[in-house]
Amino acid sequence: MMNEPEVTNEHEKRERRMVQWVVALVLFVAVIYAVTFIKLPVWLPALK
Amino acid sequence: MTEAITTHDHPPAGIMRWLTATNHKDLGILYMSFGGLMFFIGGAFIMAVRAELLLPGLQLLSPGMYNQLFTLHALIMVFGAIMPFATGLNNYLIPLMIGAPDMALPRVNNWGFWILPFAAVLLLIPFFLQFFGIGSGASAAGWVMHNTSLDLQSGIGMDFAIFTIHLLGLSSLTGAINVVVTVLNMRAPGMTLMKMPLFVWAWLITAFMLILVIPVFSAAATMLLTDRHFGTHFFDAANGGDPILLQHLIWFFGHPEVYIVLLPAWGLIPHILATFSRKPVYGYRAQVYALWAICFLSFLVWSHHMLTSGLPLAAEVYFMYATMAISIPTSVLVFCWLGAIWRGAMTFETPMLFALGFVAHFGMGALTGMILPDVAVNAQYHNSYVIVSHFHYTFFGGGIFGMMAALYYWLPKFTGRMFDEKLGRLHFWLTVIFFNMTFIPQWFAGLDGMPRHIADYALRFSAMNFISSLGAFLLGLSQLLLVYIVVKCVRNGPKATGQVWEGAQGLEFTLPSPPPYHTFETPPLVK
Ligand code: HEM
Ligand SMILES: [Cu+2]
Repeated sequence: MMNEPEVTNEHEKRERRMVQWVVALVLFVAVIYAVTFIKLPVWLPALK
Repeated sequence: MTEAITTHDHPPAGIMRWLTATNHKDLGILYMSFGGLMFFIGGAFIMAVRAELLLPGLQLLSPGMYNQLFTLHALIMVFGAIMPFATGLNNYLIPLMIGAPDMALPRVNNWGFWILPFAAVLLLIPFFLQFFGIGSGASAAGWVMHNTSLDLQSGIGMDFAIFTIHLLGLSSLTGAINVVVTVLNMRAPGMTLMKMPLFVWAWLITAFMLILVIPVFSAAATMLLTDRHFGTHFFDAANGGDPILLQHLIWFFGHPEVYIVLLPAWGLIPHILATFSRKPVYGYRAQVYALWAICFLSFLVWSHHMLTSGLPLAAEVYFMYATMAISIPTSVLVFCWLGAIWRGAMTFETPMLFALGFVAHFGMGALTGMILPDVAVNAQYHNSYVIVSHFHYTFFGGGIFGMMAALYYWLPKFTGRMFDEKLGRLHFWLTVIFFNMTFIPQWFAGLDGMPRHIADYALRFSAMNFISSLGAFLLGLSQLLLVYIVVKCVRNGPKATGQVWEGAQGLEFTLPSPPPYHTFETPPLVK
């Protein structure tokens, strides 16, 4: 009973951390996708 | 306290249990069963290929059909069999190994699985349509679409393949994000990162690799789609595009992909070697660092698949040495595997046999892999059967042997029943003998100059191909034994204990076999 709020707090913190991770990873995926599509056709041929 | 995560104790009955599954164990079983089924479908396709190659001349297949069959074989084996099976293992085992009640994103997990059957059907539709006179068949451009001229010019099969790649990518990405979030947030108190079992480490690293390279592959597929239908010219040389660009994008994905296939196996082999040597895991830290090093290096070596594509000399030399550098962390792993069994009290149950078979055959794949990136010899070996032999030692000798070892090791945990040990050993020895009978002759045919991707060959390759085809048929047949063993185990195997194997360590072996539907709802305390 005593540490009830503490426990939900932990739970909420974990939930929030999880959401942050998911958002960050999805954004990362989107960035890589976009860079591949938009920039690599410009950068890679320039290597030669 | 547990109110927030309390759910029904019993799954819904019948088919709904599987369609709406969010339980990590149910999804694990689904993924593994799907992988197993695809293993046999991919195998059936290649049996037709080997039948064509049994004798010189064309007997059964047109060259176009031949190309479709080996392409489907490879896509199905890599993306349909090994990867889903390894994902099933991570679903079932990661929560048990880190003391979590489930994966972090159970609904996403359901979605990730149910995409797969649709992707498989999508891939196969054009193959069957051709028999009704519709379209020109499935994609024939190779396992990562590396035949760039076919990519641009072939019919609807390629469009289906492109959408399949998008779907598979979605499934892999959701699965990978789920693994990262689970491992980083759901560990039981006391389960610090450096206490995690190596299988969990290996999957965490695999997930990061997927998250980095799948978007590149998907984007390349999208560019191909717009080139084919929407008037862009990314890859079309006739209009100022660059086909080599497609090669770069594809192999930037393709090389890490081979490590994506292998890392889960590398992670689980030390568990099995330790158990049956009755010793702790050897060189834990060294293995964690080696896995990270391989992950890092794998992004920097892709053009060893393109050494004959006219790269500048400096680039060729760079890719040669960078590739060879991967053998350093890989050797660390092999050393640790040998360290694990060194002076151990070894016994040779089926999982241990497959684990040792893994070390031996993957070792052959790795050694032959040291020869291939040599710029001078690559000119000879590129596109020859030497390559086919080499990568089957890594994919089959490594990937499949690893998955088999895992299956036999954890099957009693999953089912609560022991399998028939005698038959398991028989399955192992038949697999070893016929696997080598299939792929050793291919090495020598390749050295002698036999190109890959051909439905017919010069007469001097006849003997090697005859032996290889016989080996392949017998290898295929002997895998049916595995089905029998698993069915027999599930139906009426003797009861397994929670511990299963005398020397087994890890949280999953502190639970009964099979583990209850919900486990670790209150996290265990890890010392
Ligand atoms: C019964 C077992 C198997 C046999 C007999 C077999 C045989 C073959 C043969 C003969 C080819 C080359 C076809 C050609 O180049 O003309 C091939 C290609 C291939 N196989 Fe297998 N294979 C088996 C299992 C596997 C497994 C388990 C995997 C992966 C997990 C795999 C992955 C591949 C890949 C990636 C290719 C390359 C396709 C391409 O060139 O694009 N194979 N296989
Ligand atoms: Cu490679």
